[in-house]
Amino acid sequence: MNRSTSEPAGPVVIEAESIVKRFGGAVAVNDVSISVRAGEIYGLVGENGAGKSTLMRILAGILRPDEGEVRVEGKALHGGAKAALEAGIALVHQELSLVPEMTGAENIMLGSFPTTAGFIRSADMKKIAADAIEEIGVQIDLDEPIVRLSVALRQFVEIARAVARKPKVLILDEPTATLTPAETDHLLAMLQRLAAKGLSIVYISHRIPEIFSICDRVAVLRDGNLIEMMDIGETTPDDLVDKMVGRDLKLDLQIHRESNPGDVVFSARGIHAPGVDGIDLDVRAGEIVGLGGLVGAGRTEFVRAALGVDPKTAGTVTVTTDGRSTKIATYRAAVRNGVAYIPEERRTDGLALNMSVADNIALPNRARLSTGSVLKPKMIAEFATNLADSVGLRPPDIRRDAGEYSGGNQQKVVIAKWLGREPRVIVLDEPTRGVDVGAKTEIHRLIRDLADRGAAVLVVSSDLPELLDLSDVVHVIRDGRIAGTLSGAEADEKSVMTLAAGGRLVEAS
Amino acid sequence: MTTSQTMSLGEATTGFSARLRAALGRRTEWRAIILLVLVVVGALIFAPTVFTAYQVTLGFVALIGLIALGLTAVILMGELDLSVASTLAVSGVVMAMVPNIFLGVTLALLTGLVIGAVNAFFVVKVGINSFIATLGMLFALRGLAFVLSDAEPVPLTDIEAGISFGMPLIGPITPRIVLFVLVFIALHVFVTRVRAGREFYAVGGNRQAAYDAGIPVSRRLFTGFMISGFVAALAGVINTLELIAADPTAGSTALLASFAAAIIGGVALTGGRGSIVGTLLGALSLGILGVGLTLAGVQVDIQQIFIGSVLFIAVITDPASLRAAAGSVVTFLQSRKSQTAV
Repeated sequence: MNRSTSEPAGPVVIEAESIVKRFGGAVAVNDVSISVRAGEIYGLVGENGAGKSTLMRILAGILRPDEGEVRVEGKALHGGAKAALEAGIALVHQELSLVPEMTGAENIMLGSFPTTAGFIRSADMKKIAADAIEEIGVQIDLDEPIVRLSVALRQFVEIARAVARKPKVLILDEPTATLTPAETDHLLAMLQRLAAKGLSIVYISHRIPEIFSICDRVAVLRDGNLIEMMDIGETTPDDLVDKMVGRDLKLDLQIHRESNPGDVVFSARGIHAPGVDGIDLDVRAGEIVGLGGLVGAGRTEFVRAALGVDPKTAGTVTVTTDGRSTKIATYRAAVRNGVAYIPEERRTDGLALNMSVADNIALPNRARLSTGSVLKPKMIAEFATNLADSVGLRPPDIRRDAGEYSGGNQQKVVIAKWLGREPRVIVLDEPTRGVDVGAKTEIHRLIRDLADRGAAVLVVSSDLPELLDLSDVVHVIRDGRIAGTLSGAEADEKSVMTLAAGGRLVEAS
Repeated sequence: MTTSQTMSLGEATTGFSARLRAALGRRTEWRAIILLVLVVVGALIFAPTVFTAYQVTLGFVALIGLIALGLTAVILMGELDLSVASTLAVSGVVMAMVPNIFLGVTLALLTGLVIGAVNAFFVVKVGINSFIATLGMLFALRGLAFVLSDAEPVPLTDIEAGISFGMPLIGPITPRIVLFVLVFIALHVFVTRVRAGREFYAVGGNRQAAYDAGIPVSRRLFTGFMISGFVAALAGVINTLELIAADPTAGSTALLASFAAAIIGGVALTGGRGSIVGTLLGALSLGILGVGLTLAGVQVDIQQIFIGSVLFIAVITDPASLRAAAGSVVTFLQSRKSQTAV
C-alpha cells in the first residue's frame, strides 16, 4: 500500500523555516524546518514530548514561534489562528473541540454560519455540512446534537469541520487515538482520497503502521530537534523507532536495584473499563512495576479503575497483606487496605493548594492525629515536620500553603502525606512530570526506598529513561491491553517503543 | 483500498418514527412539560379556581416569566445575572421620576441596557466572575433605587397611562401579557434562528471551541447581558405602569423565582444547554403552582417549601445527574457484594 516515491512532486504549499519555540527555559522546538507539497501526506513522528504538537500549533497559528517563520504558498503567515485559517490551514485537534449541545451541522459550520440579515440559512448550512460529511464518506445524522454521537463520530465531525473550510493544508494530530481498527482504516483511506485531490496533509501519529500505510514522507522529531526527514521508501519501521528513540540504548548506564521481590501484594485480574480491555497484573512486595505505553493507551484508566477511583465494568483486584487477602471494590476500601495513589494531576487531584503543607500531610492521617474527631495541632505539626524532612521538602516550612511550592516540592508533599500511612501498595502516575531534574532524582530515591522497605510499587510513566531506570518489570500497554512484558534487564527504550507503537518486537526473546 | 465508499458508524435514523423519536429525545424541556402536566392536574383537583382566575395566574406568570426569559440568554452562555430584580426596581423608579411617560419609558429601558453593559464590562473586560460582579450590582442598584426614590414609592405622573395599561385588550389579555408573549417570541427566534443568538450555545457549551471558531465571544457576552438588563427593565416598566407607582423594593422575590423557572425549564447553569421554550414552561409551572397553592389556602411559608421541592426534583431528574446517581448506586452494590464475598 506504500505510495510510490516517484510520484511527481507538487509545488510546496506550506513551509516552516528555522522554527524555535521556548516555554520558560525549556526549548520545545529547536530550529526545525519542514515543507509540505500539494497532494502529499507528510508524517510526523516522535516520542511523547518530542515537540510534534507544539510544531503543529505553530503551523496553525495558535502559537507564535520565537524564531523563524511559517509561509503558505510563499507568503509569510502573521496574525494568529484566524489568519492561518484564512490562509487555508485547518487543524484537527487532539482534544475534541466541539460544542456538546449543538448539532453536527452547527458544529461543522461553527463560526461561519451562512446568514441573511443575521438569520441563519438553515438549509444552506445543512447542505454545506452534508457535503463535507459526504466528502469524508461517513454517515452522520447532522441534526443530532454532538453529545448523542459516539466518540468516533465526534472525531469525524471534527474532521468534517476542517474539510468544510476548503483548506489547502489539513493537519491531524493523533486522529486515530479514539478509533477502532475499522474506523482507522476508513479514516486513512479518506485521507488518501483527499490527498489525491491535491490537499496537503500533515499527519501526526504514534502508530508506525499508519505512517507506513499512507505517508509519502516522514519526519522524526526528538527532544525538539528534527532528526531526519525521509521518503517513506527509504526507511523501515525498525529504523524509524531507532530514530525516534535516538539515545544509544545500552549506553545509558542504568543502576538497577538489587530487588528481592516477596509475595504478590497487589493483584489485578481481568480489569475492564472505558479504555481498558482486560488487564491482568501482579505487583510483589519490594518490587517496582512500570507501566509504559503511549499517552491514551489506557494506563491511567487502568490504574484508576483498578483502584476504584473510576468505575470498572469487570475485573477484580486483591490486596494481600500479612497473609490476609481482601478484594478491593472501592477506593475507600483500597485506602483502608494500605493502598496509596498519587495521581497524574497532582494540582487538581492530589493536593489542596490553599491549605498548608501540614494540613495536606495530615489529610489521609486524620485518625492517628486526633482524639475522637478533634484534631491535635501539635501532633500534626510534629508528624508533618518529620515527613517533610524525610522527603526533603525545601524549604521545610510546613506552615506554608502547598500552592507556594514548586512542582517538584508539591510532588514531595503528596508522597509525604501517603508515606505517613506506611502504604503496602503505592501507585504513582507520572510521578515526575513537570518536575526539575534535582527534585526528580530525589523522588526516584524515595520511590526506591519505599520498595526497599517492602512496599509494592506501581509506576506509570511516559518518561522512558525514568521508567527503565526505576522498574524491575515493565508492562507495555497498548489499546487498553498489555502488549508485552519486559524484565528490567531486557527492557530498553527501543523494545518499549516498539511494543507501544504497535510494531513487532524484533529482537527481544 | 476502495475509494468513495461510505461508512455507517452510527445507527441510521431512517423512517418517520425513528426520526420522530430522535427529534423528541433531543429536547431538554421534558421535565418542565411533565411538571406542568402534574401541576395543571393538581390544580384542577385542588384549586380549579386557578383557571377561572386566569387573569391573576397569567399576570403572575408574566412577572417572573419575563425576567426569567431575559436571564436565560445569560445562563445559556454559562454566566449568571443576579442583578435583574434590582434592575427592575431602578428602571421603574427612573421611569416614574420623569413626567413625560414616553420619555420615562425610553429612559427606563435605556437604564436596563446600560446596566447590562456595565455587568458585561465587569465580566468580560475586568474579568470578574459573573456571580460576584452581578451580586455587587444587585446591592448597588437596589441602593440606587432607594436613593433616587428617597425610599418611598414614586407615584406615576401620567396616571391615565397606567390605568389604561392595566385594561385588558381582548378577553383576559392585558398589555403585560402581550409584551410577555412578544419577548418570548423574539428571544425564541433569536436563539434558534439568528446567528448571534445561536452562538450563545457555543459560548456556553465550549468557550474555547467558540474562540477557536472565530466567534466574537466578548461581543456575544455583551449582547446577552444587555438582553437580560433590557428585559428586566421592561418588567420594571410594566410593574410601574400597573401599580401607577414605582416601588424601590419591587421585584425582590422575583430574582430567585426567575432562576427557578429557568432551571425547571431545563436550562443548565453550566451553560450551553436549555431553551427559551423551556423557561416559558418552567415559568408557567411555577406560576400555576404558586397561584394554585394560594387559592387552595396554603400559607406562603408552606408554598416556598413546595417551590423548593419542585426545584430539587427538577435538578435531580436531570438526565446527567440521574446517570451519576445510578453509577454511585452500582459502585455501592459492588462494594457490598465484595465485602460479603471475603
